[in-house]
Amino acid sequence: MDLCVFGVDDGYAEAIIRGLRASFLSEAQYQQMKNCASIPELKSFLEETDYQNCLQADNPQIPTSILRQRLKKKLADEFEYIEAQSTGTLTKYLFHLRCRFMIDNVVNMIEGLKNKIDIEILLSNIDPLGWFPEIKNIKVLEGDDYSSLYRDVLIDTPIGVYFMKFLEESIENLHENRTLNDIQNLFREMKPEYIRTSLKKMWLEDFYSFCESELMATSQEVLLELLKFEADFKTIQVIYNSIGNRDLNTAAKIITTRKQLCPTIGNLYPDCEKLYLQAMTLDTLREAVKGCDNYRDLLKDAPDPLKREEFNVQTKTLDDIMYDDECRRYALAFDGQGSYGVFYAYLKLKEQEIRNIIWLAEMISRKLAKNHPGWKKIIIPFSHLGK
Amino acid sequence: MKYYSLVIPRESAWVVMNELARLDQLHFVDYDPQLPMINRPFANYVKRCDDSLFKLSCLELLLKEFKKNLNYCENVDSLLDYYQQVQQDRMKPGHTYFDELEQEIEQKKIQIQEQSANLQNLLDRVNIITEQQLVLENAKEILGQSMFQQQVPHNPNDYQQLKFGQLIGVIDKEEEVRFKRIIFRVTKGNAWVQIKDLNNEQIDNSMRKSFHLNQNNTSQPRCLFVIVFPGAEESSSLKIKLLKVCDSFNKQRIEYPNSMDQVQRKMMELAQQLQESKSLIEMTKQQLEQSLNKLVLQKQGCNCSYFEYMRLYILKEKYLYVNLNYLTMRGSIFTGYFWLPEGMEIMVEEKLRNAMINNRDHYPTGQIQQIKPQPYTPPTYFNLNEVTLPFQEIVNTYGIPRYQEVNPGLFTIITFPFLFGVMFADIAHGFMLFLCGIYLIFWKNYLLKQTDSMFNLMIPFRYLIILMGFFAFYNGFIYNDYLSISLNLFGSCYSPEKDEWKRESKDCVYPFGVDPVWQASGSSLNFMNSYKMKLSVILGVIHMLFGILMKGVNTLYFKNYLDFFCEFIPQLLFMICTFGWMDFIIIVKWLNTYENNTDPSIIETMINQVLKPFDKPVNPVFPNQAEFQLRITQILTLIAVICIPWMLLPKPLILGSKNDKHKVSMSDSQYQPLVSDKQVSEQDEDSNQEFDNDLQNVANLKSFSEQTQEEHDSGEIWVHQMIETIEFVLGGISNTASYLRLWALSLAHGQLAEVFYDMCLAGKLDIGGILGGLLGGYFYIVFALLTFGVLMTMDVMECFLHALRLHWVEFQNKFYKADGYLFNGYSYKKILNDNLKQSNSK
Repeated sequence: MDLCVFGVDDGYAEAIIRGLRASFLSEAQYQQMKNCASIPELKSFLEETDYQNCLQADNPQIPTSILRQRLKKKLADEFEYIEAQSTGTLTKYLFHLRCRFMIDNVVNMIEGLKNKIDIEILLSNIDPLGWFPEIKNIKVLEGDDYSSLYRDVLIDTPIGVYFMKFLEESIENLHENRTLNDIQNLFREMKPEYIRTSLKKMWLEDFYSFCESELMATSQEVLLELLKFEADFKTIQVIYNSIGNRDLNTAAKIITTRKQLCPTIGNLYPDCEKLYLQAMTLDTLREAVKGCDNYRDLLKDAPDPLKREEFNVQTKTLDDIMYDDECRRYALAFDGQGSYGVFYAYLKLKEQEIRNIIWLAEMISRKLAKNHPGWKKIIIPFSHLGK
Repeated sequence: MKYYSLVIPRESAWVVMNELARLDQLHFVDYDPQLPMINRPFANYVKRCDDSLFKLSCLELLLKEFKKNLNYCENVDSLLDYYQQVQQDRMKPGHTYFDELEQEIEQKKIQIQEQSANLQNLLDRVNIITEQQLVLENAKEILGQSMFQQQVPHNPNDYQQLKFGQLIGVIDKEEEVRFKRIIFRVTKGNAWVQIKDLNNEQIDNSMRKSFHLNQNNTSQPRCLFVIVFPGAEESSSLKIKLLKVCDSFNKQRIEYPNSMDQVQRKMMELAQQLQESKSLIEMTKQQLEQSLNKLVLQKQGCNCSYFEYMRLYILKEKYLYVNLNYLTMRGSIFTGYFWLPEGMEIMVEEKLRNAMINNRDHYPTGQIQQIKPQPYTPPTYFNLNEVTLPFQEIVNTYGIPRYQEVNPGLFTIITFPFLFGVMFADIAHGFMLFLCGIYLIFWKNYLLKQTDSMFNLMIPFRYLIILMGFFAFYNGFIYNDYLSISLNLFGSCYSPEKDEWKRESKDCVYPFGVDPVWQASGSSLNFMNSYKMKLSVILGVIHMLFGILMKGVNTLYFKNYLDFFCEFIPQLLFMICTFGWMDFIIIVKWLNTYENNTDPSIIETMINQVLKPFDKPVNPVFPNQAEFQLRITQILTLIAVICIPWMLLPKPLILGSKNDKHKVSMSDSQYQPLVSDKQVSEQDEDSNQEFDNDLQNVANLKSFSEQTQEEHDSGEIWVHQMIETIEFVLGGISNTASYLRLWALSLAHGQLAEVFYDMCLAGKLDIGGILGGLLGGYFYIVFALLTFGVLMTMDVMECFLHALRLHWVEFQNKFYKADGYLFNGYSYKKILNDNLKQSNSK
């Protein structure tokens, strides 16, 4: 049924996305990029591709940070265009997609301000996809008082809801007779990364329930599946990173942190108690996830987190493995028609492409030898289709 | 068309290419179309040209902003001559001129952008100052005197005395609500916020206007805010917080002075600053104008602005390098291949000699050598002029003619307007179209200058329009149709007598076209329909027969005798024996008079010819010669029936047997390609080898692979032939029927014209008096508009499309292969002309 009516409101937006799908760099193009000897060469190569217009006005010796900004700007422009063409549910849906970037931006700002980085630099580095007018007012933040930050600035913003929940949860976890001082201490010690993870968890859950309640069946089918996997990957990542983490010295602390940060959706969720309690080494983690899909295969190649100090560029980290698998899943989302999944997948894959280009640009600017393993460390969207 | 190789030493590559581009007659062949441009030897030159063009387009934007009008080049030839002159005067290698221009453009761009940035900064500064002035004025109004009086405590004993601080500044209008909210939240409602719109847009624009700038980047509307809060001390936490909030809105904040005097003083200061900035702006602007004017000015002897001069030169240079990239580089020698129309060798050699003479260092220039056999099908080259261009365009839209096959474009010049005319037949309408064509032809130069005229777009098609108009006019006379009225030009042969029409004499014939008396008679529609129908079938069959004859010409030219005897001859016979015969009896019927209702029905005759082959016709077309007619129809039917298997069978049988023989001989010689493969690889290793043999081998390989491709399955041949035959036989009937659109469209046209005439004019003329005059005037306007809107635009379009279809489908499918590709001459003139149009239309 929804295939019949999908085109009425969202057909045009989907058509645009499918047109933009042609702009992904091909494997041959990546090969050519790898062969570039210098940044100007890379830039002139990119000017032959879809990135032409966003780079033309720049100096050939473009710094990678500017390059990233340009590429992201292009993606943001495209996204904005689609957003402008959308109506009704799709608009809401696309807005939800933006929230993820907003969270990133807010946390980055908080982190930067804590480290006393100039606000102008921070503002120029924010992801254009997650821009919202209040972002520049974060400067008002005094000390580490997140609650006043929320109260004064973030309350009106789209991510204010998540932030409020986050504050409530963190305060609840304190002991009974808390004082204002305790709360302030708590926030002072809190790492931005922790805020990011919990905000994103809330966003993911919220997005999931949005998809479940408001989208049509075809979209749900694609999206819920993707989101479940994403939630699972988050869970695995949290557990993986908590193994052997120095900050979490007691078992109880590990378990509460895990409980707090792991999303309450996904294939792993309902019976993940075991996961939280038992997975104290990589092997037990592998054992715990073996019931679901190909997770065990994924973890097979993951390096042991206990030997974190030995990691170097060559190590294929868990993140890389997961990006790889996610990339495959997102590319599959392009197969079906009449679903909102393509918008999400497009965004994710384009992000991956930008990551790839930036990575290659870094490699090139450092003039690393061509046999350096880092050259292989890119994940090419849609590359599995050729095989 | 001949295939040549061109060898140029590296040193003189630029000179040679430069000379050849003036010839307009070479079609360069890309040696490896798969190779991306970026990997070719001159890719960085192309890139540099692109960069320079980009810089120029930046400059162009600025020129536009400052309303500088460029002189666009109109005559490419003289410009090219001028380039050559400049090159000769320079006394340096030609390709270095590009480097010079590139540097110049770079400098100009930096210089001009700097100046315009300066100007922009100054303008912004003026804006800020005026804004401050406004803010102060407004704040004075809002805060009034009381603010200052507070500074002086009027009752030193009052413990409740409260000091107030204030913040004043500017924010964007759209942030107003957010700003208020945040202030409210931060101060928990303990502050008084006043916001007032500034109409600074006006200032902005007036500023810009006075400097003749475009107003496209007007700033957003802004507004003034005034916050009054308790606690005037510098260190109060509320003030620090508020300061942070205000600053985070990223706009101006203004220290409000403490007393009225200071306000006045500040205002004075600002006014002074404003004056200074304004004079600075004036200076900067003059400088900028000067540098821009340099771009606009014409160079001595050149017919366009210096900017255009540079732009076109860079374009030309880019074109040269793109084409140079089609050549392979081996060591210090470029090798390329190109197609050349017959008889142009001497010109090319002369150009090469020229290049040698013009070359300062007298490097040896290139040489050309013809290569046989040609490895690819040559491109199709047309030598067109303004008249033939639109017609060839009509044909090319369907498909480019295969090399050396009959070009239907030639016949289209007359047949297309004629068939259009048959459908659009009306003396008045045709004449109007004709006038339109005349207008386009004689006022061409005037119209070309009117860039916004809709006639401008029709100029390339002016000869098409005039011919269409002429034939519609002519056919209008044949049908005797003038806005649905028949003209009695030569005097009708009939005169009214009581209730009947009496023919003047038995031999009286209306000399040209249809006798106007038909219009007056009740059966005019019946007569015209049958007449037009028959006429269109006759025209259609002639048109198709002509197409089949062209197929014969093609087969003879390509010496394809198999197709000549097994396709062309049976097709021709089939067409003549069926529809050709039908046309013949139509004409015979027109020529004879039949008595006592014995006039034959053509359709019946045709059907009986097949269904009752042995019965004598009841109403013979040839009066009193039923027996004779029966014989003829029997013979013709027999021939037509025989033609069908004739088309179907012999060709695949002969091809099949040939293939068998071929296969046998191929199996003997199968080792050959392997050998030549080896040769090729050996020669690749030794790069100093003569490339000629190399190419020869490639050519051999190519022709070999083509042969193998031609070696179809015999099944495939059968299926193909079957489709061809069925298509032709059925197509004969359906295509003939399709020509009935000539009648249908002209019927529709005539009926529409009649309706408009009857409804709008005819009845109103009888009313008489003033009312009749007024009504007549009003309805005349309606009539004119309808005629123009429906008949002169929509119907022209419709008839055009139907004529197009008749040519593309009914006519061209008889012979036209249309799988060629266009000759793309290497020519500066073309590339510059293409780019001239763009600048004109901007």
